[in-house]
Amino acid sequence: TAAAPRPWRLFGAMCLVRLPRITQPLEKEEEEIAALMGQIELEKSHYSDHEIRKLQEEEQLRRRKESAYDDDDEAPGKTVIMAQDLEDKWEQKLLQFEAAPRITDADKNNNRTSLNRKLDSNLMLLVKQKIGNQELWLLPQVEWQPGETLRSTAERAIATFLGDHIQAKILGNAPYGIYKYKFPRAIRTEDNVGAKVFFFKAFLQSSDLSQAELKEDYLWVTKDELGDYLKSEYLKKVNRFLLD
Amino acid sequence: PCRAQPKKKKKVDVKREQAQKDRMKKKIKKLEKAAPEMIPIEDFITPLKYSDSNRVRSLPPLSFEETERRVLLMKKWCLFKQKQDKAEWKAIQTLVEAQQEALKELRLESEELYQAAIRRDEGLFPFERDGPNYTPPLPGYDPPEGKCVDITKVYTQ
Repeated sequence: TAAAPRPWRLFGAMCLVRLPRITQPLEKEEEEIAALMGQIELEKSHYSDHEIRKLQEEEQLRRRKESAYDDDDEAPGKTVIMAQDLEDKWEQKLLQFEAAPRITDADKNNNRTSLNRKLDSNLMLLVKQKIGNQELWLLPQVEWQPGETLRSTAERAIATFLGDHIQAKILGNAPYGIYKYKFPRAIRTEDNVGAKVFFFKAFLQSSDLSQAELKEDYLWVTKDELGDYLKSEYLKKVNRFLLD
Repeated sequence: PCRAQPKKKKKVDVKREQAQKDRMKKKIKKLEKAAPEMIPIEDFITPLKYSDSNRVRSLPPLSFEETERRVLLMKKWCLFKQKQDKAEWKAIQTLVEAQQEALKELRLESEELYQAAIRRDEGLFPFERDGPNYTPPLPGYDPPEGKCVDITKVYTQ
């Protein structure tokens, strides 16, 4: 028997992930253990050259003070750089350097369209799309066309919403998840029972999106914030393939 | 009689030279047969200047409370890591299950798309990525100039 044409429409969706740029803050246990490990390492170690020099100089200073400032014949004209001075100089240099802040302005304003927010977690792209007669927040998706693989459908989805100049590393040819839904009875026909959306995952490689021509509303959200925008069934399926 | 003598000298010389050459060849063969000298691993040899006694740190001995605290902390850490590991394992399991479900549905749809999906992606590995740092990169930062001179010793066998 010939295979009947399936009544499901296929969509390819892409979950574009911006990987974290800074490390997550340590948990309380991790901090305690880190302190303990440092202490054990200090106890098991020997003195380094710098420390020996420092101890010797302290001894010399102490001896000079006790013997009441006689023999200064080594010192006239010669300024000896002490190890303590070196340490102070290095400390000063460190204090002068100002690193970029870990909590950026976008964090403070809660500007969800910016990529500079929440630098220590994964950010996913959400786009507002019109399905049927509803405007919904979804992962960018386009309909599959015969002749292309589902992976190229997902690539087309990115290109449609963000333009061609985005570099993304797609993780493999296989889909990561699937969301199946049936159309409401009003639109359902024999050949068109519902739709299957296959999700693919990609890592964002290009760091700035100034060249992106974004046509619709878009948001970059973390996994916890997905619940604010996605519907519950869709969210359940999406959460399965997202690692925190 | 006059003719024979010079000939003898030549023979003896030739014999002696031959013997010398053989001895030299034997010596060369012996040297080659001996095992090649091991390349010393510099990490495993502690330089003698670090075994001086004045290098040993003098610290007060640990009190009983301190050792107790350390042991309890290590046990808490053990539990913490175990929970973390189990959570990671569970997350990977759900990931794999979700993918298997998606592939099953895809197979129901069309065999051709399924075959295209399970094909190996050649461009994926080797996968390189710069790891996350403690602070984000400072825009317009000019790092100080410097030259790096490599002084590692290279041994040949």
